[in-house]
Amino acid sequence: MSGLPIVGFVGLSAALLAVGIFGILTRRNFILLLIAIEIAMNAGILNFVYFAAYTGGTAGLTGQAIAVVLVGFAATEVAVGLAIVLALNRLRGSINVAEATELRR
Amino acid sequence: MILEELAFLALAVVALATALLALLVRELVHTILWIAVFFVDLSAIYFLLEAPFLGVLQLGVYAGAVTVLLLFGIMVTRKRIFSREATTGIGAVPLALALVTFIFVIASVGEFSAGATVHAYDPTYLSQNLFNVNGPWLLLLGLIMLGAVGGAIYLVREGRE
Repeated sequence: MSGLPIVGFVGLSAALLAVGIFGILTRRNFILLLIAIEIAMNAGILNFVYFAAYTGGTAGLTGQAIAVVLVGFAATEVAVGLAIVLALNRLRGSINVAEATELRR
Repeated sequence: MILEELAFLALAVVALATALLALLVRELVHTILWIAVFFVDLSAIYFLLEAPFLGVLQLGVYAGAVTVLLLFGIMVTRKRIFSREATTGIGAVPLALALVTFIFVIASVGEFSAGATVHAYDPTYLSQNLFNVNGPWLLLLGLIMLGAVGGAIYLVREGRE
């Protein structure tokens, strides 16, 4: 299999990263924030996978291995993020990140 | 060849549209549904890139576990899970920053040659690489996950003020 344009993949990844950054900057709900972070992280993982596919050989295999590890990291991050959501909800009764200002005082 | 390009184009459009919909739709449960479609779509892209192991991992971990975890997060933090979210406005500065990021990444594409061959990998070699060559990193991932689970339990345990 050959010839999938590399510009298309990098473009898709860049666009997903832009969407993720936009979400991180504009959303105030903690769960939406986590989802935006996941979108940006998936853009990075997508990069690893297709550069692995284009490189080939041992280096490509290492790229795929890194992608596998990154998927694990992302799942861990969601678990810890949701624990923070639950703690925040118990503490304040809302999961709006703009209202969580305890550490500023 | 042309069929693969068409498939990629369709998958890319769906990925972008679902990512945007997930962030812009007003009901949180619909957000989770769109993000599930996004994860399934990405796994299809991995299959297109001849990375079947990662495709299956994406389906299991993201489309399965993360989606359900987020749904549970919504379920326990709201009285009515279909209640609407007050959207914050689409600010000019975040939009500009996102556009600058996009243009910056796209500008760096020129350094790569276009249209190389996509290499397929046997999952056997991937597992050898993962567990032999990069074994220490995998162990480190396990330790970090263990620490994260401990931290998550500490955060949500009862009777803590």
